[in-house]
Amino acid sequence: MLKTRIIPILTFNGFGLVKTKKFTNPRMVGNPVQAAKVYNSRGVDELVFVDIFASKQNRKINLKLVGEVVKECYMPVAIGGGIETIKDINDLLKIGADKVVIKTQALTNTNFIKEAVSFFGSQCITIAVDGFKSGESYKIKNDLGIDIDVERFVNTMEECQVGEFIVNSVDNDGMMGGFDIDLINKVKAISKVPVIAAGGGGELKHYSDLFLQTSIGAVASASIFHFTQFTPHDIKVEIGSKGFPVRL
Amino acid sequence: MVAIIDYGMGNVASVQKALNFLKIDSCITADFDKIESATHIVLPGVGSFLQGMKNLKESGLADFLTEQVIDKKKKFLGVCLGMQLVAETSEEPYQNSGLGWVKGKVVKIEDTEISIPHMGWNNITVCNDTFYKDLPSKDFYFIHSYHFVPTLPAVIAATVNYGKDYVASIQQDNIFATQFHPEKSQLAGLNVLKSFFNNA
Repeated sequence: MLKTRIIPILTFNGFGLVKTKKFTNPRMVGNPVQAAKVYNSRGVDELVFVDIFASKQNRKINLKLVGEVVKECYMPVAIGGGIETIKDINDLLKIGADKVVIKTQALTNTNFIKEAVSFFGSQCITIAVDGFKSGESYKIKNDLGIDIDVERFVNTMEECQVGEFIVNSVDNDGMMGGFDIDLINKVKAISKVPVIAAGGGGELKHYSDLFLQTSIGAVASASIFHFTQFTPHDIKVEIGSKGFPVRL
Repeated sequence: MVAIIDYGMGNVASVQKALNFLKIDSCITADFDKIESATHIVLPGVGSFLQGMKNLKESGLADFLTEQVIDKKKKFLGVCLGMQLVAETSEEPYQNSGLGWVKGKVVKIEDTEISIPHMGWNNITVCNDTFYKDLPSKDFYFIHSYHFVPTLPAVIAATVNYGKDYVASIQQDNIFATQFHPEKSQLAGLNVLKSFFNNA
């Protein structure tokens, strides 16, 4: 039986690890290589590493540093930040990334997404869905002035045959008050590919609520690991106790 | 020396990292002389079947590897796409032919009840334990949308259940292959690699 995935997410600003609240006020939280080493020793299911300022600052991700992070990992790693070309993806795969996380190009250039899928396969392409509540619907947060509903964006990406979505609630990001169940269910209802939920986990109950109230198979978190004593293992024990399959 | 075949389909570094960890000498190469002198061949890879075969054919590796593995019986490990490429045919993205070392075909996972790709940690059921003895865990990391259907069930070394049973590993003479990524499956994966390279 396929196990529920509990995935630490490391967000990077070009120098060190940072953690945002509602996608703003990045706070320094440490060294990425050290963090990767700790997560590997704890046997986490997977790791996501994203340079959240690369596209905004119009620069490439630091391959040398990513290489050092991946070197510590004997589990799958997804890497994102400033990916614009097939070569960018190939560079990341060559140093050991298993998947890439793309957002900006997904909003501006669907042909590139199609090309990436046909070259590397669906399983390699994860799309970041950063949703925020706007009236009765959800929209995708971006700095490009693009106004697009979460559903429309997800449908467009499904048509490109991407392999996975990581759905992050902008409103709940870093607030540690629980997940945006409504947002996650909206995406899950229209998606045929795996969905990772992110944004809002702060205590163990938030995770059992998430799995009990949605049908997703994976969750990514940062704040709970940076700012509390809880580990990915604690979350697995919690959701395992509710009957969900976990890898302990 | 283990030759990890470099044919432009990603993921070669992870395999070498795992072998380094196990203190097994390896090189990432497409050089015929180096492959000829290697004791084992590893064909890793992620990406599409068609692209993978195209790269193997254009570099001459398809014929050369067939000579090494089929005629000279060199020990071979295929991982993920590297397992699927040993099949006769694949339908990714349309009908095309593979290396043809193991009778069977690669087809898309078709099931409306589950998310595809099959992505994440799943436990295997071992049918042939040659390289699956003393596993610390039966959970391995899978990430694929297509699966191998061998003609002869006897070559199935392990299966995995994802709504239905799918082939997780095959073994035929000197050919061993896994649909999952042992190099990404922490201790369980390292254990399988260790058992293959020390015993094969």
